[in-house]
Order: sequence, then C-alpha cells, then structure tokens
Amino acid sequence: MSLVVDASNVGKVFGSGDAQVEALQDISMEIRPGEFVSVIGPSGCGKSTLLRLIGDLLTPTSGTLLINGKTPLQARVDRDYGIVFQKSTLLDWRTVRKNVELPLEIMDIEERETSAAEMLDLVQLNEFGEHYPWQLSGGMQQRVAIARALAFNPSLLLMDEPFGALDEMTRELMQQEVLRIWDETDTTVVFVTHSIPEAVFLSTRVIVMSPRPGRISEIVETGLPHPRDEDTRESQQYYDKVTDVREALRHEEAKR
Amino acid sequence: MTRDDAERDREILETRETAVITAFEGDVPVGTRTPSALRHRIRNLIPAGIAFVLVIVVWETAIRVLDVKAFILPAPSVIVDRFIATWEVVWGAGWNTFKEAIGGLVMGTLLGVLVALSSVRWVPVREGLMPFAIAANSVPIIALAPIANGMFSITSSVPKIVVVAVVVFFPVMINTTRGLLEVDADELELMRSYAATPREVMRRVRVPHSLPYFFSAMKVAAALAVISAIVAEYFGGSQDVLGQYILNKASLFVYPDAWAGILVASFLGVGLYSLVLVTERLVMPWHVSFRGADAT
Repeated sequence: MSLVVDASNVGKVFGSGDAQVEALQDISMEIRPGEFVSVIGPSGCGKSTLLRLIGDLLTPTSGTLLINGKTPLQARVDRDYGIVFQKSTLLDWRTVRKNVELPLEIMDIEERETSAAEMLDLVQLNEFGEHYPWQLSGGMQQRVAIARALAFNPSLLLMDEPFGALDEMTRELMQQEVLRIWDETDTTVVFVTHSIPEAVFLSTRVIVMSPRPGRISEIVETGLPHPRDEDTRESQQYYDKVTDVREALRHEEAKR
Repeated sequence: MTRDDAERDREILETRETAVITAFEGDVPVGTRTPSALRHRIRNLIPAGIAFVLVIVVWETAIRVLDVKAFILPAPSVIVDRFIATWEVVWGAGWNTFKEAIGGLVMGTLLGVLVALSSVRWVPVREGLMPFAIAANSVPIIALAPIANGMFSITSSVPKIVVVAVVVFFPVMINTTRGLLEVDADELELMRSYAATPREVMRRVRVPHSLPYFFSAMKVAAALAVISAIVAEYFGGSQDVLGQYILNKASLFVYPDAWAGILVASFLGVGLYSLVLVTERLVMPWHVSFRGADAT
C-alpha cells in the first residue's frame, strides 16, 4: 500500500537575502494509511509549516514530498485532504448544515444534504443543522469544522492545533470525539499540537520537533491499545509515553 | 460575551450524554428567543420619541414666547400648516427630486460595485485605480454640478442624476473593495485546500464578506444622494424640483414654504436611508449587528 505522506529531506526557507529564515530543515518521514500522527514541538519549530507543505498551502524549497504518491499540488487538486484550523473558520452567513455543504458545493458533489446529515450525525450535531455558527460554543464550532473537513471523504485529515482555543474539559471531550471519528472512518490524521498529553492520547506515533531550524528530533511510538478512553489517561503506559515525549522535547532544549 | 460563552458551554454539555453533564440543567439555545426582541426594540425607541416631542415643544414655545420672526425661524406648527396647504406642489417637486436621487444612487452603486469587483479580481486594475479613487473621494465632487448642467441638457434630470451617481460612486466603490479584500487568511487557505477557483472564492467568501462594508457605504450614499440632487438643482434646470422650490420660496421671502420644502427633503433622506436599512436586514440577517436583539 502506498504511503499517505512520504517526505525526504524536505526543507522550507521563508524570505530571501538577509531576511531569510530557515523554517524547516531535512524533514524525512513516512505516514502510512490509517495512522494517527501528531506533530509536537515548541512555538517556531515549523510544525504548522510542515502541515501546510503537506496541504500544498506552502511549497517546499528543497527535498521531495509526496502525498498519496502524488505531488502535493495534485493531491490538493484531487481533494485528497480536509483541513481543520485552530479557528473554526466557519462562514458566518451560512447555517451549520450549509457550512458542512460548502466543500460539496465547490466540488460539485451531488446529494449534499444526505452527506451533510451523515457528517453532522458523525459529530453528533444533527439537531443544530439550522443554527448559525455564532449560536454554538467553541467546541461545537470545531466539531462543525471537522464535519466540513470530512464531508467529501478525503483520505487524509490535517489538523492544525484544532483544540488550542478550547478549555481543558471541552478539549478532552473533543479528543475522544476525534478518536471515535478516526475509528469510524478510514481517515489518516496528521495532528499538530503543543500539548504533550494530547499528542500521546491521540496518536499512534508522535513526531517531536525542535526549533531554529525546525527538524525532527525524535519519533515516539505510543503503542497504547485502542479504543482509548478515560482509563487510558490513567494507565502506566500512558504516563510513560508522556514522559518519553517530554524528555525528547527537554533533551532538545538541553542540546542548545 | 462571557455570559454567552457560559450558556453555549452548557449547550455543548447537554448534547452529550455523559455523567458529568447531568449537573447542568436545560437551557434554550442562544438566539432562539425572538418574541421578546420586538418589544425590546420598541422600548429602545421610547427615549428618542420623547426627545423628538420635547424638541418640537421647546421650538414651538420659544418662537411664540420670544416672538421670533418667520424669516429667522418659523414655528413647527406654521411649517406643517404650509406643508399641508401646498402639499401637492411640494410633493410633486419632492417626487422629481426623489427620482433623480434614486436614479443616481442606483447608477453610482452599480458602477461602484462593478469597479470594486474588477479591481479585486485583477490586481493591475486595483493598483492603477485605487490611488486615484481615494484622491477623488476627498474632492468635493458636488462642485461639478454647474458643469454637469452644461455637459448635458440642463432642463432634463440627466445632469442631476450624473452628479448624484458620481458622488455616490466613490464611497461605494472604496468601501466595497475594502470589504472584498479584508477576508480572513484562514478562509482563503480553506478555499485553497478545496482547490476552489478564484470565481468560487469571490462568490462564496469575498462577496458575503463585503456586504457589511457595502451597506455602511450605502447608508452614507443614501444621504449623499438626496443632498447632491438638491444642490445640483440649485444651479438651475427644471423648476419643478425641491432645490428650485426652496430657492424660489426663499428668494420671495416665503420662508415657511421654503421650510415645508426642507421638510420634504428630510423625508426623502430618511426614506432612502430606511430603505437601505431594511434591505440590509433582509440580505444579511446573520450579521453580528443584528444579533443583540435576538440573543437577549
């Protein structure tokens, strides 16, 4: 089976001349279908940049990057991925249902109402279809954003600190939601976060990055059993992995 | 804001059937409690109504007590009397002025929106045009009025419509352009992730975003349209219009009649403005400025 993300020696430089900033250096990684991979690191380590390279929202300056065996541009044009940002980015003038239908309208996909209803079922917001985004809480808005990202059945879901603006309790509920959704669909997830517990709880693998220039310092396999629930958060293995990731991050600090 | 957040949090919790959740009792989703909204809005109008009545009473009393001459300021009752006595003539003039104002408003708006759309779609158009537009916007365009009378048939309504259209054009164009351009970077990235065409981005994101800007420009433009139509009329042309009516009555020292003309002019201004307000509400019921009434 072909890799969902295949990066070798990918680099990204912003600006030119004296103002040049090397955001990413020598990124090599492989993500297999069905994986849930988190990318973690301190601010400025280029984790969001990496996600944007995968989504062809930015173009790498060096190395090769393949998405589903294609160039990122081709993958984007083929609508291979859905994306969720930190802000829900819902369109204010559309109801929840219409927001979920947005990508379907743009992609000219038929039977929008059925798909939107399915997606709202998936994120358990069906009774809120006719509400406007501003009538929902932050957590609900993010669930709509997830429904919208999955509405056209992309094989890859990119998430850029999607729960960064939520309070701790909502955040943990949302993590459960995402795992359930990941379980119910065959989506591969790349999840950018700066929360260690979040990364460990969600992922099959955690990619630890270090800043200036951004590069991969370690990859931690979590190996936690599925399905994961509140008990997982209290298990010894979970603590151990959180410690592993924390040490990987600290190790990098010490080296500098 | 904080209170709303608390309410919304309660909702999200309600929809989940977890044990923690039962601690929170039911609540109606924000924004569904409309029946009280109308009453609320009417209550908001009461202070303005009282102020209006007060001003009229003070005005009327002051004129009577101080025995102010009508050429300085007539009493409201006198103005209303003259308005009723002459209403056929003065409304006729008002109607003609209204036609010029709305004709120019529609033309100027259409042109403004068209230029705004193309300046956003094609960067060179924007870069070439915008500096001039912004400069032209600070020029008192109304000064063109006498010249427009020479350019077009002075007795027709054309020169007036042209002046109104030019006056209206700039604020509409500049504001709409700004609205079309001030789109959240995330929303553009989202559209890019869908591989949406520029046309789709325009239609689904930029145009809806520009509506609040467009309507605030229209509110200014509605007032400007009536003002510039009347000022253009002062420079001559057909006699059966408000500008000429007010001018003639004033030069004949029939001030209460002139004031009746001004009263009609105010109706036109308020009328056009209200038309914009109503359209705005119909076109974008989702907008943030209308939420207060629904949410509380």
